[in-house]
Amino acid sequence: MARVNDPELTKARLHLVVEEMYDRIVKGEPPTMTLPVRTKNNIGFDSKLGVYKYGKKRSTRDATSLGSAKNLLRALHVVEFIEEMIEAGKSSTLREMYYISEGWGLGKFGSQNESNNLAEDLEVVTSCLREDFKLRPEEDGARMIGDITVDELNRRGQWMRINARDDVGDSGYGVPYNVESEKIRLIEHDVKFLMAIETGGMFDRLIENGFDEEYNCGLIHLKGQPARSTRRIIKRMNEEWDIPVVVFLDGDPWSFRIFASIAYGAIKTAHISEYLATPSATYLGITADDILAYDLPSDDLSKKDIEALNAELSDPRFADGWWQDQINMMLEVNQKAEQQSLAKYGLDFVTDTYLPEKLGEMGLS
Amino acid sequence: MSGIANKMASNQKQIAISEFFEKNKHFLGFDSLPRSIITAVKEAVDNSLDACEEARILPDIVIKISKLDTKKDILELVSEDNGPGIPQKSIEKVFGQLLFGSRFHAIRQSRGQQGIGITGVVMYSQLTTGKPTHVLSKISGEPTAVSVNIGLDTRKNKAVKSEQTRIIWENDDLTLKEHGLRVTTKMKAKYQRGRQSVFQYLRMTSIVNPHAEITFIDPDGEKYHWPRVTERLPSKVDAIKPHPHGIELGQLQRMCRESKDSRLTVFLRQNFSGVSMRAAKELCEAAELGVGTKPKSMKPDDVRALLEAFQGERVVNGKAIKLLSPPTNCLSPIEEMLIKKGLSKTIDSKFIATMTRAPTVSHGNPFQVEVGLIFGEGMAADKHVEVLRFANRVPLMYQQGGCLLTKAIESVDWRQYGLEQAGGKGVPKGPAAILVHLASTNVQFTSEAKEALSDNGFVFEETRKAMLEMGRGLRKHLEKKKKMAKTREKFELINDILPAIAEKSASILERPVPDLAGSITRIMSAVICNETTTWNKETKQTDVSITLFNYTARARSYSLLVNWPEKSGGEMVGNERGGRKEAMGIWGWKIETLEPGQNAVLEYSLSNLEKGDWTETEVFFRGSQDVIGATKLDEKMLEDIRKQEDILNQAENVASDEEFQEGFEPGVVDGDSGQTTLFGGEN
Repeated sequence: MARVNDPELTKARLHLVVEEMYDRIVKGEPPTMTLPVRTKNNIGFDSKLGVYKYGKKRSTRDATSLGSAKNLLRALHVVEFIEEMIEAGKSSTLREMYYISEGWGLGKFGSQNESNNLAEDLEVVTSCLREDFKLRPEEDGARMIGDITVDELNRRGQWMRINARDDVGDSGYGVPYNVESEKIRLIEHDVKFLMAIETGGMFDRLIENGFDEEYNCGLIHLKGQPARSTRRIIKRMNEEWDIPVVVFLDGDPWSFRIFASIAYGAIKTAHISEYLATPSATYLGITADDILAYDLPSDDLSKKDIEALNAELSDPRFADGWWQDQINMMLEVNQKAEQQSLAKYGLDFVTDTYLPEKLGEMGLS
Repeated sequence: MSGIANKMASNQKQIAISEFFEKNKHFLGFDSLPRSIITAVKEAVDNSLDACEEARILPDIVIKISKLDTKKDILELVSEDNGPGIPQKSIEKVFGQLLFGSRFHAIRQSRGQQGIGITGVVMYSQLTTGKPTHVLSKISGEPTAVSVNIGLDTRKNKAVKSEQTRIIWENDDLTLKEHGLRVTTKMKAKYQRGRQSVFQYLRMTSIVNPHAEITFIDPDGEKYHWPRVTERLPSKVDAIKPHPHGIELGQLQRMCRESKDSRLTVFLRQNFSGVSMRAAKELCEAAELGVGTKPKSMKPDDVRALLEAFQGERVVNGKAIKLLSPPTNCLSPIEEMLIKKGLSKTIDSKFIATMTRAPTVSHGNPFQVEVGLIFGEGMAADKHVEVLRFANRVPLMYQQGGCLLTKAIESVDWRQYGLEQAGGKGVPKGPAAILVHLASTNVQFTSEAKEALSDNGFVFEETRKAMLEMGRGLRKHLEKKKKMAKTREKFELINDILPAIAEKSASILERPVPDLAGSITRIMSAVICNETTTWNKETKQTDVSITLFNYTARARSYSLLVNWPEKSGGEMVGNERGGRKEAMGIWGWKIETLEPGQNAVLEYSLSNLEKGDWTETEVFFRGSQDVIGATKLDEKMLEDIRKQEDILNQAENVASDEEFQEGFEPGVVDGDSGQTTLFGGEN
C-alpha cells in the first residue's frame, strides 16, 4: 500500500478537527471531537484491503467534563505544534512533544501515555500517519538478519547501502523508526521467506545455528509486541518483493495477539492496517497441537491467560475455524509453552527437527 | 474490685507487702518495665484530674521523666499539678496506705477504678530503688507547702515519713504557688515510644479531658504540650445507691451485715435505687421474708433468697418484680462538642463527627456511650485506623483486640462508609481515628489488668449504633467532598479550559474568537451552589460564604437554608441579607430571580465559637430546579426538628418534677430516643 505524503493535505485534515470544535462553540454548543470507537467491537474485515479496519461506530469526545475538555485543548496544541514542524521542516519524538507540552499551560500532558494516545487519535481522525505529523516513536524497531539489501538515508543525508547479512554483526540490522520510502529503499534480496521471531533468545539461537544461511531466509526479531516500523517493513518486503512471511512465537494467548497484529492489523492501529498488516503471513508455532505433539514442557494457564483466550474467541480477527480450534484446544489442555521449551530435546532440535518439519508442512523447506 | 479488696484485707497480716506486690503486679500494672512507668504516670495524672474535678479547678499538669541510670533502667518521674493539694495530715494516708478513700463503696463514675492508686507507685519505687517518694503539697490558705519523703514499712504496711519540713513553694516566675501537688519518685522502668507509651497515654488523656492543660517532657528533653480547649469542667456527678439488678452476693451480704435498719422494706428503699415501696414489699414476698425482717440478722440463705428476688429468679404471681431504672445523672459524659475539640487538638483533620448516646441501663448499671470519628489527610491512609478506647475518661491502651469496644467497631461494615476493610470485618483501614468512651458506674473488664471491656450486649449495641451514625456522617462528608471536587472541575472547565479552546481554535483557523455564553450554559446546564466555611484568625470568627450561580437558560428563584451551631451557643453576625430562623439551628434566605449567568452571594460569620468547632456548612434549598452543591430540603425533617425542639422545651420543665421519675416505665431502654440528627435520616 503506497502512502500519500502531502503536507498540505495533512494540514487541511487537521484543520477539519479544529473546525469541528470552533463551529460547535459558534453554535452555542460544547466543542467536540468525533473519532471511531477503538475496540474489538468496532473492527471489521475490509475485503478490498484484506485487513481489519475500524467500522462505522463513532464516539464523540465533548467538552462537558474537565478531562475531555482538556483533551480537546491538548489536541489543538498538538495541531498547532505539527503545523509549526511541517512549516519548519523539523520532526520530534513523541517524548519530546510530551516535554514541549510543559509550555502549553492548561493544555500540557499529564503523562507520556496521554501524548502518545492523542497522536494516535489524530491519526485516526485525519487518516494521516504520524510520519505525516513529523512525530517519531521512542520504541525501537526490530533486528533483522539475512541476505537482504536496503538503502537507508543516514543522518548526513546520504543513502547508505546495507546488506543485512554481510554488513552487520551478530545483532543484525537495526530497523529504524521510519521505514517509508523517503528513508528506506528496498534494493534486492536472496531469501525464500521471512521468519518473524518473538524472543531474542530464539532469534540468537537460530543465528548461532546458521539457520538463515542453511534455509536461505531472513530472520526478524519482533521484541514482543512488534513496533509499527517492524510491522511496516515486513509488510513492505512482503508486498514489494512478494516474499512469504512465517511467524514463530511462544504458544500462549498473547502470542496469538502478536500474530493477529502482524497478519490482520492491531486494534489500536486499525486505522492504518492497510500499511501495517501482512494478510498472507502464516502462524508457524508454537501451536496448541505442538505442545501435545512434541510433548513440550508447559505451564498451566493463568486466570489472565484464560480471560485473554476467551476474549479472542469473540475477536473477529480469530473468527476462522483454524484459530477457533487452536484457542479451544489450548483452553482444553489448559497449557501454554514457550518457544525455548524446544530445548528440552537439545540446542539443535529447533533447527534440525522442529522448524524443518513445520516449514515442510507449509511447503517452504 | 471487691474480690481484690477482700483478698488484700484478709491477707494483710500474713504476707509482706513486697510479696503481695510481687504476686499481683500484673494487675497492679507493674508487670513489665515499659508498663511500670506508664502506670505510675497514670496513677499520678488520674489523681490530679480527680482532685481538680472535685475542687472545681481547671487542671494544669506537668509530667517530666528523666533517665537517672540508663544501664540499670532507673527513671525519675516528676508530676506536678495545680490541684487543691493534700493537707499535711492526710499525706501519709494518701500515699502510704492501701485502699484509702471512698471509691470502693460509692456507686459513681470515677477514674480511679483501676489499680490501687498512687500507693502502688510509692511501693514500686521503694521495692525497686529503695528510695522514698518525695511529696510537695500546698493547700490554699496556708503560707507554706509541706515537703516530705514517704517510704513504706513493708512489714507493717504503713507509711514512713521522713525529712518533713515546710517550705516556700514558688512558681518558675517566682510568684507563690497557690495550691498544688508535686510528686517526685524514682523507679526501675523503661521509657518507650509507640502505641503503648507515656506519650500516647497523655495524648489520649488530653483528648478526653479537654479542660486540662497537659505538658510532658520526655527523657530526651523533648517538650510536648496539649493545651486546654475549654474552660468548662466536667459536670459534677452524684453518687447513687446500687441497683438491685447490679449487685453481687458478697456486696449484699456486707450491706445487710452493716445495716442498722430495723425493717427489710426500709433497708431496701433506702439503700437501693429503683426500689419503690410497692417493689420493696413484693421483693420481700418473693424472697419469702417478712417485711419486718431485720437485715442484720438475716441468714446466708435469706440473703441468697433476696438476691434471687432481685434477679427475677424468685417471682410473685408468676412475674418478676418490676423495678425502676436507676437514675443516670451519676454519669459524666464528655459531650459531643468537647470530644470534637479534644480530638481536633491532637489530630489534624478535615472531618470530625462525634456522638453522645442517651444514657441507658444494663443490669442495673447506668452507662453511656460516646464516640468520635476523625478523618483527614494527616493520617496514614494504608494503615488500620487508630482506635482510642476510654472507660470513664481513662485511656485503655492494652488488649485492644479483646475489648468489647473494639469488637463493636469491627462489627460494622465500614466499606459502605468509605473506609477500607478486608472482607467487611475487623478494624478498618484509612486516614481516620475512632474514639469510643464508655461512661458507667460499673465498668466490667475482662481481667484484673483492666485494659479490655468484657462483653455486654447492651453496651455493644449502643456502641455499634453510634458507629453506624458516625459512618453515615463520614459517607455524607465524602460524598460532599466528591461533589465539591466535581463542581470545582466544572468551574475550571468553563473559566479556564473552554476560553483556551475558543482562543486556540480561532487562532489556528485565523478566525475571530467566538462568544462562549451559549456553550457554558449547555455545559453546566445547572444551578450551582458553592459553600466555604473557614476560620478567620483575625476576627476569631468562622466565616461562611455561599454563592449561587445560575448556569441555566432561564431565570430562577430559590430559598436557601443552612445549618449552623445555634444549640452549641454560636452566634450569627454580619448577615447582611437578613433572612429568618426556620427552626433551631436552621436559617433561611429567599433569593428572588436569579437571571441566567448571574450569581448571588450570602455571607455571614459565626462568633462565640472556637477554631475547629464548625468546619462545614450544609446548604439546603427549596425550589424546583436541582442545585448542585446543595441538598433539597425535606420539609418533613424541618417539621421533625421543630417538634423535637418543642418536646425538649417541655421536657426541661418537667425534668425537675419527682413524679416524672416515678412515672418512668422501668427497665425499658429506648436507645433511639432523642438521637435523631439534623437531616441525618438517610439510609
